[in-house]
Amino acid sequence: MAKVSVLNVAVLENPSPFHSPFRFEISFECNEALADDLEWKIIYVGSAESEEFDQILDSVLVGPVPAGRHMFVFQADAPNPSLIPETDAVGVTVVLITCTYHGQEFIRVGYYVNNEYLSPELRENPPLKPDFSQLQRNILASNPRVTRFHINWDNNMDRLEAIENQDSSLGCGLPLSCTPIKGLGLPSCIPGLLPENSMDCI
Amino acid sequence: MKLLKPTWVNHNGKPIFSVDIHPDGTKFATGGQGQDSGKVVIWNMSPVLQEDDEKDENVPKMLCQMDNHLACVNCVRWSNGGMYLASGGDDKLIMVWKRATYIGPSTVFGSGGKLANVEQWRCVSILRSHSGDVMDVAWSPHDAWLASCSVDNTVVIWNAVKFPEILATLRGHSGLVKGLTWDPVGKYIASQADDRSLKVWRTLDWQLETSITKPFDEKFNPKIFKKKQKNGSSAKPSCPYCCCAVGSKDRSLSVWLTCLKRPLVVIHELFDKSIMDISWTLNGLGILVCSMDGSVAFLDFSQDELGDPLSEEEKSRIHQSTYGKSLAIMTEAQLSTAVIENPEMLQYQRRQQQLDRQGPTARDAGPAARDTGSASSVAGVVNGESLEDIRKNLLKKQVETRTADGRRRITPLCIAQLDTGDFSTAFFNSIPLSGSLAGPMLSSHSGPQLLPLDPGTPIPFSSSKPSTEPAAGTRPVGDAASKDGVNTATAPTTPSPSVLTTPSKIEPMKAFDSRFTERSKATPGTPALASTTPTAAERLREQSLVKELRPRDVLESSSDSDEKAPAAKPSSLPKRKLELEGEAVEKKKKGRPRKDARLLPMSLSMQSPAALTAEKDTVCVSVPAPALKLPMPGPQRAFTLQVSSDPSMYIEVENEVTAGGGLKLSRLKCSREGKEWETVLPGRILTAAGSGDVVCVACEKRMLSVFSACGRRLLPPILLPSPISTLHCTGPYVMALTAAATLSVWDVHRQEVVVKEESLHSILAGSNMTVSQVLLTQHGIPVMNLSDGKAYCFSPSLSAWNLVSDKQDSLAQCADFRSSLPPQDAMLCSGPLAIVQGRASTSGRQAARLFSVPHVVQQETTLAYLESQVAAALTLRSSHEYRHWLLLYARYLVNEGFEYRLREICKDLLGPVHTSTGSQWESTVVGLRKRDLLKELLPVIGQNLRFQRLFTECQEQLDLLRDK
Repeated sequence: MAKVSVLNVAVLENPSPFHSPFRFEISFECNEALADDLEWKIIYVGSAESEEFDQILDSVLVGPVPAGRHMFVFQADAPNPSLIPETDAVGVTVVLITCTYHGQEFIRVGYYVNNEYLSPELRENPPLKPDFSQLQRNILASNPRVTRFHINWDNNMDRLEAIENQDSSLGCGLPLSCTPIKGLGLPSCIPGLLPENSMDCI
Repeated sequence: MKLLKPTWVNHNGKPIFSVDIHPDGTKFATGGQGQDSGKVVIWNMSPVLQEDDEKDENVPKMLCQMDNHLACVNCVRWSNGGMYLASGGDDKLIMVWKRATYIGPSTVFGSGGKLANVEQWRCVSILRSHSGDVMDVAWSPHDAWLASCSVDNTVVIWNAVKFPEILATLRGHSGLVKGLTWDPVGKYIASQADDRSLKVWRTLDWQLETSITKPFDEKFNPKIFKKKQKNGSSAKPSCPYCCCAVGSKDRSLSVWLTCLKRPLVVIHELFDKSIMDISWTLNGLGILVCSMDGSVAFLDFSQDELGDPLSEEEKSRIHQSTYGKSLAIMTEAQLSTAVIENPEMLQYQRRQQQLDRQGPTARDAGPAARDTGSASSVAGVVNGESLEDIRKNLLKKQVETRTADGRRRITPLCIAQLDTGDFSTAFFNSIPLSGSLAGPMLSSHSGPQLLPLDPGTPIPFSSSKPSTEPAAGTRPVGDAASKDGVNTATAPTTPSPSVLTTPSKIEPMKAFDSRFTERSKATPGTPALASTTPTAAERLREQSLVKELRPRDVLESSSDSDEKAPAAKPSSLPKRKLELEGEAVEKKKKGRPRKDARLLPMSLSMQSPAALTAEKDTVCVSVPAPALKLPMPGPQRAFTLQVSSDPSMYIEVENEVTAGGGLKLSRLKCSREGKEWETVLPGRILTAAGSGDVVCVACEKRMLSVFSACGRRLLPPILLPSPISTLHCTGPYVMALTAAATLSVWDVHRQEVVVKEESLHSILAGSNMTVSQVLLTQHGIPVMNLSDGKAYCFSPSLSAWNLVSDKQDSLAQCADFRSSLPPQDAMLCSGPLAIVQGRASTSGRQAARLFSVPHVVQQETTLAYLESQVAAALTLRSSHEYRHWLLLYARYLVNEGFEYRLREICKDLLGPVHTSTGSQWESTVVGLRKRDLLKELLPVIGQNLRFQRLFTECQEQLDLLRDK
């Protein structure tokens, strides 16, 4: 079961000019203190055509996370216009908020984003080269699409216990070289990594 | 008989596999299939019972739904006390739920806000052991055990007092185990399996008592769900009889009385599909039945039909005569034959019974509609600040730091703590809400040198993207949808027109569908390993990631041992320490500086400089090292240190500040809640420490300076006997551990020594031993955690090292005092002893493994263990823990009937009633009044009627003292 569930994501300052930062107020609940930080990311989908135009606007670590309800504001700079295909500048795209624990994504919140010229003239006759300074970004905040993935939360714990049960003279920690590949070689974590999607959307 | 099918009880048409009514009758739970997951729903009972409530929109029907099971839920069962709900499902898991009262209604995010949970039920334990679907769960009558059975042919007995401990795994069935039930006194458990046998197991040793195979004839009815009801007695004075309801796969429900040869009633065509589960109401006159077709029916019988139920006493008498007394469970009923000798005792026992009865109802079963109001009002205000106010300023107030590798790290604002009491609260991690929030918090590793990337600018995604795989895998779906523009079932979303002005824009939106549901393939910037799909491309990338990471480790570890070079044993010692600190190092790399200043890992003082000093000085400490034992902090130009658990207080040190004229000074800066002070010192500062009361720094030339919280120098520099190794402060106490392995503790307020240059030689006897952690308690007692798992504290009054913890202590592993643990605060005792000993959870597990140990041996070890805990808490002067262990010890003495020791404790706590001048008796112990402790002990003593004389004696004398 997921140790962390997202209670709400409030889209702040919406709509706003294209160049202003994204701001999401994220509330989540954790039912057991987490040993490590959560990593949150905002991904801006530059084009529906290809994932190549995705931009990770920012990623933050969030922690420490004791049991309880928590909230924070995740602010990230606007996407870099030069990385967006000109044909996709105006119109509907998507912004994704993802959260990972131990590198495993367990929730993905997606919003439709509409970029539009504010002035009617520009709307009628959009310039060939998009003028990002005139674009307004509107996030369809009322309609988040939430996808949850089943991940292995107890990777660490299993290992700790395994260590405890070993000969205690060795049981104080692992050699340093092993630590970054935590869980990779362990067969126990593989089932947890199979994506078991459950989608909650309207 | 009345029959009702409440249509509102459903899982959106999905099958319902299990139903169970809460012991207080106010609610019931259903379990079954949900959308892509298993589902547990808790419903309000009153709309089923009363038509008015059903029509009243203010009476909630659904109280809570939980979608956490990954696959279909096969069974839901309330504990007998009603505090917990256990659910088991096809995902092989058992989840134990408890109601959380701290927060008001919530919605399921992303579900459109329709489904408000009136009550909050939280999963407090997940039990993993079964290798197949979990078919049934059952709580033992006293709620101390939970049994589960599975298609893996086993039955698992869980320790319900200490989840997820497994007491026994019962093997013997050769087919999937379908059902379980306990006898009413908890002496046996019966399991029924597909191998056409019913096995009865003893709870005393979890061995097979008997296996019944004869009467099985499962030809037409593979699924019989029976529920024994309470004994009822007919109106005529005849034998008591049982009432039994049977639901079957042929969709019929029959109710049988054991006094009749044919069923009382048979109902056909109640459901469209098989009956899956049945639950009786509290009064025994109603049943809830659920079916695979996803509906639930309620049957209400009258007393004329079923007869008058027996009273609880009559029932328990029958149970006892049938099953005998359970040896494993000590109930008060067994003592009921004892004569109560004094009215006080009688009153106490009665009160206790009342409390027991009211307990569950008062605690967690209040009518749902009423307490939602108060709960939400609680949630709306945090520390006097409304949630709205907090939200307004959240961005400004929230604490953001940079980790050692330069990543942004936000400390989330805690808006509600979990109150279920089953969680070990994070004493060191949780950020206090009020006041200090505004203050800045710096990570102790905030070095800008190691920035691998600048998160301020967008990260080019291509850095670690697998080449072709995702494009081939996910794109076509979107492309196809966007090209032909046909409305497919995969795009159920109709975006609101306010955003989407042109209809043509809707079509490309389908292209995004896969983006919402598929995990991102590109995960740059993650030091951890993203391992989602085991494709070859991913594997490759992971490997390269690992490779990338490794060199950095080598770098770190090598610079680390450089730092430790001055230590006496340059080869073996640092290496060993490195291994020990493996975990700490890794944590740091993930950007988690340890905040618990109370428990200061040595690695902090040693390694953070190592990680920081990219601009490391070439100048070395010029102190010769005579027979050094402990590592010393290396020289560094500047460092920052977080002080105490208060996040807003930190110390900054800057060495070699040029003061003009070739003079070099060191600057010490301290910031607390936005207020700063600053001072300069002549020598280079090697290490610093601080508490709420004092700040101290150790400089080169063995100088130790102490400042008040406001920066005033409190003492002239203290000359240490040898160079500093570790410095630590708690309250007014300053502890200095020198490289020559001597320890000193001073009370700077009183300006006196607590521990004077005490050598660690006696405890560091082995050559390979190092100090892995140091701790200074609130009372200035130093504790050394050694690498061999032992921990010693130095008792100033005894002037000796005391062993307070030993990870390999066989006593701790054999001691089994679970029966004496108070149910609520079992895990909640915190303090220096708990910190030193770490997680105590292993003890019980070991005890369970050593089930074959003779009871006497176990008693002895448990007593010895508890006594050593009491003594250790006393030596550490940890009053809270002393009280905890003393009460636990007393409870154990009471349960096991050790009168002499109990009497001795009481005598000491009571002291002389009539004042005598020659008495040596102290009225307090570690700051607690002994007689108050005795008052707390009395109810414990009163639980065992055998000690009623002791109880009376103490009670009378305490009264006497009070009247004086």
